[in-house]
Amino acid sequence: MSASPSTAPARPAVQPPGPWSFPTPTRHTLSNGVELVLYDIPGQYVVSVRTTLPFPLTVEPRRVEGVATIMARMLDEGTAEHSPEEFAELLERKGIAFGASVTDAGLAVDLDVPKRRLPEALDLLRQTLSAPVFPQPEVDRHLKTRLAEIEQERALAPQRAAREFIATLYDGEDRASRPTGGAAGTVSAISRQDIVDFHAARVGPRDMTAVVAGDLAGLDVVDLADRALGTWESSSQRPAPESQAGRVAADAARVVLVDRPGSVQTEVLVGCVGPDRRVQATWAAFPVLGFMVGGSPNARIDAVLREEKGYTYGIRSAFRPRRVGGLFLTSGSVRAESTVESVQLLLQILESGREGFAEEEVRAGVDFISKTAPGRFATADAVADEAASLALEGLTTEFTTATLEAMRGLDPQALVDAYRQWVTGQWTVVVVGDTGLYAGGLQELGIGPATVVPA
Amino acid sequence: MRLDYPIHETTLGNGLRVVVSPDTSVPTVTVNLWVNVGSRHEVAGRTGFAHLFEHLMFQGSRNVASGEHFTRLMAEGGRLNATTWFDRTNYFETVPKGAYELALWMEADRHGHLLDAVTQENLDNQRDVVKEEKRQRYDNVPYGKALMEVYAAVFPAGHPYHHPTIGSMEDLDAASLEDVRAFFRRYYGPNNTVLTLVGDLTADEGFAAAERYFGWLPASAEPSRPNLSQLPPLSHPVLVDRPGNVPNDRLHIAFRLPVDNTPDFFAAALAVDALGGLSTSRLVQRLVRREQVANAVQANAMGFVDGVSLGFFVVDVADGQDPARLEAAVVEELHRFISEGPTDVELESALAQSERSWLSALAGQEERADLISQHVLLHSDPQFVNTFLDRIGAVSAEAVKAAAARWLHPDTRAVVRHLVAEQENAA
Repeated sequence: MSASPSTAPARPAVQPPGPWSFPTPTRHTLSNGVELVLYDIPGQYVVSVRTTLPFPLTVEPRRVEGVATIMARMLDEGTAEHSPEEFAELLERKGIAFGASVTDAGLAVDLDVPKRRLPEALDLLRQTLSAPVFPQPEVDRHLKTRLAEIEQERALAPQRAAREFIATLYDGEDRASRPTGGAAGTVSAISRQDIVDFHAARVGPRDMTAVVAGDLAGLDVVDLADRALGTWESSSQRPAPESQAGRVAADAARVVLVDRPGSVQTEVLVGCVGPDRRVQATWAAFPVLGFMVGGSPNARIDAVLREEKGYTYGIRSAFRPRRVGGLFLTSGSVRAESTVESVQLLLQILESGREGFAEEEVRAGVDFISKTAPGRFATADAVADEAASLALEGLTTEFTTATLEAMRGLDPQALVDAYRQWVTGQWTVVVVGDTGLYAGGLQELGIGPATVVPA
Repeated sequence: MRLDYPIHETTLGNGLRVVVSPDTSVPTVTVNLWVNVGSRHEVAGRTGFAHLFEHLMFQGSRNVASGEHFTRLMAEGGRLNATTWFDRTNYFETVPKGAYELALWMEADRHGHLLDAVTQENLDNQRDVVKEEKRQRYDNVPYGKALMEVYAAVFPAGHPYHHPTIGSMEDLDAASLEDVRAFFRRYYGPNNTVLTLVGDLTADEGFAAAERYFGWLPASAEPSRPNLSQLPPLSHPVLVDRPGNVPNDRLHIAFRLPVDNTPDFFAAALAVDALGGLSTSRLVQRLVRREQVANAVQANAMGFVDGVSLGFFVVDVADGQDPARLEAAVVEELHRFISEGPTDVELESALAQSERSWLSALAGQEERADLISQHVLLHSDPQFVNTFLDRIGAVSAEAVKAAAARWLHPDTRAVVRHLVAEQENAA
């Protein structure tokens, strides 16, 4: 090794990034119609499997909303071949991480497993999807757990704000205005038969996509998947209806104060409707907009509220696509005493995007999102997650590649046009905290009348 | 199961330990630095300082403007941050290969010459930000202070782990510019730091770049003190009750454990997993599934280096159940485990899940680099990422049983109970 330099070197120039593209999958159709998408990523020794089944939450009966979530959580709680405890033991002994969840877009059942255990894992996955038995004692437990979880969500300011936000933004008759996992009243009404019926009607191979990502060398995954998932038939699965965008309430643009006396911080959530990924112009603008407005400590919001004022640990903005329609959300916690000024500044900064973005700001945003892609999609689970979330929206990862390419061509005009299309100054504002400290001050801001609701 | 991630190491003339682990699968490089200073080094009256200091590392240095570390590297496609914990402070970024030398240059600038740029204004601003971080993560969250209560109950007053990394509001208020200068001079410097580079570069490229950007810095940190000697288990049970505005009762049942990276720690950690860390663990099977008196049971073993580690079980008490009864059931299961040891299936499961989570942790360059830095800085063990699975695989059921008997005996537990405050009856 050469002798140590004695003085500081000059700031080095940055070389342009080398070529990279999102991993290319191979696509197959299993015997029963399940779409299989394989990403062979050498060196990724934990294989990620994601199965997705799109359906809108409107397929849940109104009386038992949350049944889809309970059904998903119970898929590994006993199958035709194994008791709940036996099944849990099979998963643990093979080192499988298993999870299932429901969003506005449908059902996702995921597992991660060391490569050598993939065949057994796929067989266990088959059992969870095709032959869960929903034993009554486990039903009782999961309902009780969900009810406790609802109380936990009420106690956490960000979750409490989110619940109030959808209830304010969306029309109360629309499913989107109510929690995905159901509320106390509907969860309490769920019976075992409701879960069995929901599974029978909604879970089957039709419209299912299975994603497998990892180091697949030496494995015949198509054959393994066909034997595990391809033989499954369902005579009861019904076709899922098309998703609809959530209907916005006539009085969505208003302020709601959730009162939590004694809070030392105030959680603020400001939002409006946004696009989904099929937006006409191009989706590529929206991740960049979210980044420029509220995606880093030096983005527009935190440059003021964090780095200048010290009112917050951090506030984030993002466009959140749903299967149809979407949201533009900005949220974070601010010091209780700074609530009025923080809300005022926040709304001003959000409005400022309608006046445009500087060339340098745009370049930094585009470069951050596009040049971080190789690292963000370097692992099997990240690739599988991206493919699965897109599959739930009826898209493939070609969309990811096309978006990254389109992003590099964005200019300030395209971004301000995209922002103005959705940000019109009509905000739904939810503020969770000690209302007594700031209700009057917020009123004086002239952002509209505020409703106070209990925590 | 031995892994074979390439590990190349060297030490620069100024004491900087450098590890390079080439991985050409993605055209990026992770730059990861661990500094041997954490909240365990803080003195009375200055708790939370190591973390506040870490924030100041983003507010500019001799040739880097305030905030530029984030803005410049993010604009080059970097993902970056820093964290502070009991044992250490880490700084890290993953950047496209063409920007890794810039990242090293910026890191060297702040690790060598932070003090040129520190101002009262930056200190005051970041003090406010950190206080909001504390409120957001601990003070304004149900159960948010549970672990602080656990540290205070398990570790004796004055011990490095007795106080939490976030510190206290009073101590944050007391931090001065002079504290910043003294802290930097004492702890920051290449001779108290490990640099790991993982990604699309060769060992020679990495070593040369480390030399170019860090080699000129003097070995400025003071020698680190030796780690404290092992604490024995608590001599008697400790009970802390914290009634408050929480949705349901929650118990933290905690124990002192052996220091990290020892066969005893691995055995104790496997015992913690077998008891409460798996969906098939005894405590989960009994309290959550069969008796349905708990909504959830979790378990965690945190490895530390300063004479002790921490193991704990978290029991979320179901509505209407008596927390004392649940605690008694945990005590009963601990006694049973101590007398019987783990079953073959429990040990097999704990090892299988450890294997998957270890392979998942190593799957990405960022976490792999972080694990390499950790084990070089705190254990002088650069091969740890490759040998860990073999080492826990060698732990016998008998060793797990013995570790439980020594470290998880119910008479040595500390219990922190967050209880739903009694409602005052209206007249």
